[in-house]
Amino acid sequence: MAVTNTDRSISEAAGRRSTLAQLWRQIIRIDAMNLVILVAVVLVIWTVISATIANPARYLPSPLVVGLSSVDMIYKGLLPSYFGDTMLRLVVGSFIGIVVGVPFGLAVGLNRTVADMFYPILNFFQSVSGIALFPILVIWWGNSDTTVLAVILYTAFFPIAFNVLSGVREVPIRFIQAARTLGASRWQIIKDVLVPGAMPHIATGIRLSIGFGWRAVIAGEMLAGREGLGWMIFSAQDGDNTARVILGMVMIGLTWIVLDHYVLRPFESETIERWGLVQR
Amino acid sequence: MSIFNDLSIALQRKIGRQRLRKWILGSIPFIFLIILWEMNSYFVWLEPVYIPTSGSVWEAIFTLQEGCEGVAAAVALDNSCLMTTHIFSSIGRVILAAVVGLPLGIAFGVIAGMNRTLSKFLEPIGIFFNSISGIAWIPLAIVWFGIGWQTTLFIMLNTIFWLLFFNTMLGVRGVAKVFEQSVLTMGGSRWDVITQVYIPGAMPSIITGCRMAMGFGWRALIAAEMIGGDSGLGFMIFTSAAEFKIEEVFLGVIIISIIFMATDRYLLVPMERWTIQRWGLVWKPT
Repeated sequence: MAVTNTDRSISEAAGRRSTLAQLWRQIIRIDAMNLVILVAVVLVIWTVISATIANPARYLPSPLVVGLSSVDMIYKGLLPSYFGDTMLRLVVGSFIGIVVGVPFGLAVGLNRTVADMFYPILNFFQSVSGIALFPILVIWWGNSDTTVLAVILYTAFFPIAFNVLSGVREVPIRFIQAARTLGASRWQIIKDVLVPGAMPHIATGIRLSIGFGWRAVIAGEMLAGREGLGWMIFSAQDGDNTARVILGMVMIGLTWIVLDHYVLRPFESETIERWGLVQR
Repeated sequence: MSIFNDLSIALQRKIGRQRLRKWILGSIPFIFLIILWEMNSYFVWLEPVYIPTSGSVWEAIFTLQEGCEGVAAAVALDNSCLMTTHIFSSIGRVILAAVVGLPLGIAFGVIAGMNRTLSKFLEPIGIFFNSISGIAWIPLAIVWFGIGWQTTLFIMLNTIFWLLFFNTMLGVRGVAKVFEQSVLTMGGSRWDVITQVYIPGAMPSIITGCRMAMGFGWRALIAAEMIGGDSGLGFMIFTSAAEFKIEEVFLGVIIISIIFMATDRYLLVPMERWTIQRWGLVWKPT
């Protein structure tokens, strides 16, 4: 009896432990839980560091101070207004860039000779950063919204045009030949073969464009001094308001995470799933 | 004409017909742009204040290098050799940041990637710090280090480190457990697993990370030099723009693009291709 009892209790304990362990593992696996723990750990480390260094208000204000400054800025309506300005610039700039860039890439990609002609120059301008052109644009248009918009347009246009061009060129020739054999007209080939075939590249190009555009917005606002998140952190540094600088950085990081992980990446993977050509 | 024929045949033999065709076609837009530029300096459609003449850009080299006493002074970063000093200080920072940042990022990435739970845990940190692009750190870096070379170096290091950390971590995590277990079964130590399994397995991801890091880092460096630097090409074009010396700005932009294109094409792309051929377990398009 005793033996079986202990046996049972041992097995029960083991069972309980294993379910506990499973539960724990499940909790660990839940990303939200992970994130909460991670944020808590980071906040604690941050608080400890800011409590130990000299002059934390200047070098690293504690999370509490940053939080209070965000409350203050939201109350005054500055944060929403800066955020809106930045997003407006990004949306307008990248929208124009994409609307111009996609047709351009398609048009240039249709003909092999024209495509070979434009490939190097698009590649070249894609890799020359818009920020490096900033001083030239400042001389042309001064510290104005036009300058910032031109930088965004430049950074958004070239990645998308380049990607669309290479996407169109990478559609396998036998698909075009097959369509042509079946009597498709030139327009039908463009509409039914080339555009769908280039779709994954278009999606990647759009994501790249907005990504580069986002960085360009922040830098452009800093350099040209136009109101927005970039200008907010830059002017806060001038005014010795480090809490506001960190608040702005956190805002910039979070905005991009939301934009990239919840808008652009799903859009890209959906497009690739829907239109992607799997070659065997 | 026969000379041209012979030349054309020789070139086609040497380079290859398709490559030669692509080179010639690809150079047409560049030549067109240059001709347009030359015509602008001749007919003055746009004032030289906005678009400088090519001659003045060429002369800007000598204005900047005025009083420079030969190569020795240029290498010694003499103040009179402005152009070379700025070029060397930018490139020096890139090299310094790469030498420090790449091993650091790879080491931390391997350590974090070895433990699956830890790497899952640290992934959001990587995403977050990669999302705060290098540029957004500039104001805080100025608060911490003041205006000068520390700030620019920090921006570059920061960008490089997080990109490599994240890419290495994901790469190491993606290596199949079987390889690690087989090395351990055959009596390999933990160190063997790291050097023989994790790093080679993560190599394609690491190299892609390197290429991205250099691209983003170089952009961030130029911005950092403009805002918080006191030397380098970004600083040079920004101060020249403030003085409306557009020919110096053009010169700087041209130098920046040439350096970037050259490092990307002749260093990073071949490295990437070689690694994918040599180590690639799964080929991933960048």
